[in-house]
Amino acid sequence: MKHFEDIEIGDRMTFGSLDVTADDIKRFARDYDPQPFHMDEEAGKATHFGGLVASGWHTAAMTMKLLISDPENSVASLGSPGFDELRWRRPVRPGDRLHVTSECIEKTPSRSRPEMGVVRFQVNTYNQDDEVVMSFVSIAMIARREAA
Amino acid sequence: MQKLYWEDFQIGDRREYGGHTVTKEEIVRFAKEFDPQPFHLDEEAARQSHFGGLVASGWQSAGFFMRMLVDNALAGAQSMGSPGVEWLRWRKPVYVGDTLHVRQEIVDKRPSRNHDNMGHVKNRFEVLNQNGEVVMEMESYGMFLRRPADEREETAR
Repeated sequence: MKHFEDIEIGDRMTFGSLDVTADDIKRFARDYDPQPFHMDEEAGKATHFGGLVASGWHTAAMTMKLLISDPENSVASLGSPGFDELRWRRPVRPGDRLHVTSECIEKTPSRSRPEMGVVRFQVNTYNQDDEVVMSFVSIAMIARREAA
Repeated sequence: MQKLYWEDFQIGDRREYGGHTVTKEEIVRFAKEFDPQPFHLDEEAARQSHFGGLVASGWQSAGFFMRMLVDNALAGAQSMGSPGVEWLRWRKPVYVGDTLHVRQEIVDKRPSRNHDNMGHVKNRFEVLNQNGEVVMEMESYGMFLRRPADEREETAR
């Protein structure tokens, strides 16, 4: 498990892959984002999406699933206050295969909590053609191996 | 009723809506599929964590927000998706039994550069619990169809 000290700016990790099905897209949409282009192929065709597309929040949830399910790349996370600059760059469609990269772009020891530091990661989600479908800057609180 | 076009949204418009009560079942179901951390999955593990009880994944809180937005705002509008979120912060945990609602304010709007039949609306959202505490807040964009040119003229007359 990686601690704050083990992570350097420029370090890049890769996660995945995950296959997206039409059933997954519709099931997520029914619970959290029941807009026509996330629920129905024909309704999607009538929009600029050109077909059924996943909710952007579904893509975000699938990205979380990939980030958290790789034991080799696990970090000593103490949670996250949020994220910045999330962009849904391309539609995610049934049959897409997603993978995720996460690159450390900034690390700051916490002044108020010596047992941890704050790391910003540029997270990119790609499809099978290596096109970025979503990107954001995640903010992670990560435990130190030893308190400073 | 006719659905709202981009032209119908005005900077400064405020709305409040929602009322979703969070269940244990939905927290655990979401966690199993997308965010299997002990404090989202298991009541006992959650009690022993710093949360002191089962809490929703932050990404699920975003989903609860989205569902309230769709049901109360987007379903009555010519919604065409979103290019993204400027920033989002999880301010407080969302626990089983919490009842959430949304406070929305339109802070900016502009025509789309890529699609001349669409426009962007920038919103400030706060998600509050039953005690009026902000649990999540964000600034994000929505895309909406513009009123067709022939209808625009009629409105102007």
